[in-house]
Amino acid sequence: MSDQDTPVVLVVEDERSVAEGYEIWLGDRYEIRLAADGREALDAVDDSVDVVLLDRMMPELSGEEVLREIRDRGIDCRVAMVSAVEPDFDIVEMGFDAYITKPPERQELIDTVERLLDRATLDDAFQEYHSLMARKGALQAQKTEEELRDNAEYQDLLDRIEVQRDAVDADLGDMGSEVDFVSAVREFADGEDDTEWPAADGDEEWADGDSSLPGSEDER
Amino acid sequence: MSEMYDVSGVLPGGVLDELPAGTNVAIVGPSMSGKRELALQLLASGYASDEAVLCITTDSAATVYADLERHVDSLDRDRVGIVDASGSEGQNAIDATIENVSSPSDLTGISVGTAKLFQQFEKRGITEIRYGLISISTLLQYLGGKKVFKFLHVYTKRVEETGALGIYTLDDDSHDPQVVNTISGQFDGVIQLRETDAGDLEFRVRGFGRRPTSWQDF
Repeated sequence: MSDQDTPVVLVVEDERSVAEGYEIWLGDRYEIRLAADGREALDAVDDSVDVVLLDRMMPELSGEEVLREIRDRGIDCRVAMVSAVEPDFDIVEMGFDAYITKPPERQELIDTVERLLDRATLDDAFQEYHSLMARKGALQAQKTEEELRDNAEYQDLLDRIEVQRDAVDADLGDMGSEVDFVSAVREFADGEDDTEWPAADGDEEWADGDSSLPGSEDER
Repeated sequence: MSEMYDVSGVLPGGVLDELPAGTNVAIVGPSMSGKRELALQLLASGYASDEAVLCITTDSAATVYADLERHVDSLDRDRVGIVDASGSEGQNAIDATIENVSSPSDLTGISVGTAKLFQQFEKRGITEIRYGLISISTLLQYLGGKKVFKFLHVYTKRVEETGALGIYTLDDDSHDPQVVNTISGQFDGVIQLRETDAGDLEFRVRGFGRRPTSWQDF
């Protein structure tokens, strides 16, 4: 994300009139940056860019090559391929996060950018969801099913889990789509894999008076 | 898209004879308690001519075929997709329904493999797919619990939204109880297995929007 609240969209398009058309459609919602070819795109792309609209067919560097370089550099942005060619089976392998057929309609462009901006917050939503589910898992390990039924904190936790699951699913988008499914997995698959579980190490809120639990952080 | 997947006869006493499209089922129990066998039965039971099976596994394709063939009279191998995450690509013959992934830790590769096999089945008019992920415990050997948790959420959502059936196995004696509980909480239902002191196998069922069952013999 950029420092400002306005998301940044990098439009990579070698036809100037087309690029300017996108800018007119999207300019009131996002900060638009333009790149006329693959080289300019690679100069312009960095972590401040949220979404790249990448033309597939460009002279010299193709959209695929630009995408590969963006991924190799580990830049945290989502990339939509814009192409006049109908999507083929190979697109799930290429690593795009969305596919837009040329010429796009205004609403389709906006919907795609919004979907990809939602997905950018997926991992944060997941962290919170996992933390709640891990607490639930810890309580289940400590108490009987009967005790849990009468436990107000547990019941409250179940409500919070449901709300947070909806937040995760809203960021996920349509998992019936192959491209979105692979894109959602890619969102966390290569990230750091911290194995620390929040509720496992002596969370006082759930420790239930048992201060002798191993792993308690209370060192005084 | 079918309304129900027929799994009749897998569990005794008519427990879970059919499962609605989009259901995700975890089989949880100690190692060597027959989880894999039960998963294979759920994948193969009532396996209709218009269905496909899609397995993510570290076993070779030949092993998966042979195991399924013990439960299906005439297995159509063209309708069995395999994402082989063993990393031993050379073991498999070149086959359109086998996708090789370098390691169980390559979650992107696994998702690409399943998506490609799905597209292939869809192109052939097959939209009812039974997914087998054998096993979650293998994923946990290669990846942290949090990442496996996230992957399973996305994967089960995919199964749900494509009206498929998802079958998963998880050891409950090789991971922390909290990890087992947290991961088990992601499924529509759980079949728990345990072995009695006398060596008999028992099961009970949790979830599926119905009353929990008590332990009973197979």
